[in-house]
Amino acid sequence: MLFCSITFLFLFLPVVLAVYYLVPDKAKNMVLLISSLLFYAWGEPVYVVLLVFSVLFNYFCGQDIRSHRDDAHRAKLSVIFAVAGNIAVLGFFKYYGFLLETVNAVLPVHIPYRELALPVGLSFFTFRAVSYVLDVYWGKAPAQKSLTCFALYLCMFPQITAGPIVPYAEMAGQLKNRQVTVGKTGSGAVLFITGLAKKTVIANAAGAVFGEISAMPAGNMSVLTAWLGVFSYAFQIYFDFSGYSDMAIGLSRMFGFDVRRNFDYPYLAKSMTEFWRRWHISLGLWFREYVYIPLGGNRCTVSRNIFNLMAVWLLTGMWHGAAWNFIAWGVYCGVILVMEKYIWGAFVDELPKVVRHIYTGVIVLVGWVFFFSPSLGYAFRYLLAMIGAGAGIADADGAFLLYTHWLLYLLAVLGSSSAGIRAIRWCIGVFRSKGGKAAAGAVIYTVMFLISVAFLVTDSFQPFLYFRF
Amino acid sequence: MRRERVSAARIMKYVVLLLTVVYIVLLMLYASGSSRSFEEVGAEVAAALDAEVLSEQDAARLKRNFGLNAADFDGVMYYASESNVSAEEVLLIKVSRDSQVRQVTSALERRLASRENDFEGYAPEQERILKDAVQSVRGSYVFFAVSPDAGEYLSAFNRSL
Repeated sequence: MLFCSITFLFLFLPVVLAVYYLVPDKAKNMVLLISSLLFYAWGEPVYVVLLVFSVLFNYFCGQDIRSHRDDAHRAKLSVIFAVAGNIAVLGFFKYYGFLLETVNAVLPVHIPYRELALPVGLSFFTFRAVSYVLDVYWGKAPAQKSLTCFALYLCMFPQITAGPIVPYAEMAGQLKNRQVTVGKTGSGAVLFITGLAKKTVIANAAGAVFGEISAMPAGNMSVLTAWLGVFSYAFQIYFDFSGYSDMAIGLSRMFGFDVRRNFDYPYLAKSMTEFWRRWHISLGLWFREYVYIPLGGNRCTVSRNIFNLMAVWLLTGMWHGAAWNFIAWGVYCGVILVMEKYIWGAFVDELPKVVRHIYTGVIVLVGWVFFFSPSLGYAFRYLLAMIGAGAGIADADGAFLLYTHWLLYLLAVLGSSSAGIRAIRWCIGVFRSKGGKAAAGAVIYTVMFLISVAFLVTDSFQPFLYFRF
Repeated sequence: MRRERVSAARIMKYVVLLLTVVYIVLLMLYASGSSRSFEEVGAEVAAALDAEVLSEQDAARLKRNFGLNAADFDGVMYYASESNVSAEEVLLIKVSRDSQVRQVTSALERRLASRENDFEGYAPEQERILKDAVQSVRGSYVFFAVSPDAGEYLSAFNRSL
């Protein structure tokens, strides 16, 4: 089920919220767990079994690690087994087809294989599971005794399909004790509506423009069209994923959970390093906490640190998908970050602010070309088109798309900065009384919700981009 | 007492992992798609169809009946009866990305509902075959058949993978 579907908005969510608020506190986790399994089974009836197995496997692994608290060697073996089990399942579903394709392409053989669809959210719930077993092993959080609480951590419907990947240690306390208040519900609803509008109004429209441009042969694209394409994709992926994250965090808040934000205006960053502190924050923190620091982080020699950074970014690329373009994208990001850290970072910091924004923008957009390209060959052809090796500087297609979508780009630029939210706050602030402000806020967000629903009803089916990861 | 609980957790983690492996094997056997080309799979399914009743349809007909663009997919094979009083049709699609599966299955649901509405009350035989329509998602392949022989067609599809 999708957050931005009529069934979810007008049937599933209202019913679950009503039941959740009505039942006593003791039953709230169970209500949320059952609704989460139903939510997952709605779209993935076959894979709900895999989800249940993952819950049970990690629950028992956590108990086993806890039981070896006094035996460091056995505890270590136990946590290695748990992490390996999780990664093996993720690796099988995500990479075995890619591996066989690669073998078939490289060697003079043709190994036939049976494809399996990637279970939605597998990368996300596996990373949460790994976070749990490692947090228990490192003593950051006690092993969860309640199977219901643990299952809820892994399966909670606001976060199951595409995160955020909240570390277990951050959620452990909230699984048992959390408060549902009117204020939290209200701010959660506001965040949810904001995310819904980002997805339905901007991301889908930007996606349609990008779809049109990416259908053209890269070699026949003008500079204008190529840049419009990459800008459209940049806006699509930002508003799609940050919209989803806002909805997920807003929903979590409506159920009483406090979850840190996943995006912090990344396109305002003045360096690639800063960009990655603002983009998909929970994934960055996960890799930092569970891969980069255990590898030695930056408290080591320069060469070792470079190795650690490249390892993390190679894994980040692979995490996004089983394809060479994602690996190339991960390596590209890793190289830029290493360069910023050891070669030109200090120089970039001295540049005027506007130049730093342009530098970061170009670096990020080039990265998106690798990210969206179906093959490395296409990526390089597209990059060549961006510097004029395609069909000249401008063509009728590019000019038409720019002319017909200027409002979309204006909205996207405003939405990518804090200008959008500041404008809403200004409108609310016009009213002096508390009641007036509340009424203005209610009207603004109701209108945003109705506009989003109107887009939803008239648009074709558009899943979130990050579901495929 | 504590020692017993510990060993139970350890045993259970192995049992669950084993169950997961069995489950994946079952998925591979009964829910997986295939790395075979669309042309190979399509040819085997087409050979099993009743050529007297079903004839191949073009992309425009697919768009009109299902609202799907053939160009969006890795492969499309659509057969339908030319008769206005027959609901028989067979559709095989190979999606180019996983997210398209939902798009296709939603289109199939809409198509079935629309056809049931068309035949409701005056063609009980067509209503019956619409009720018995089969649909199968195997990896990147989506198969759909409305026919008295839908079961046989589905078997042919499964064998072709």
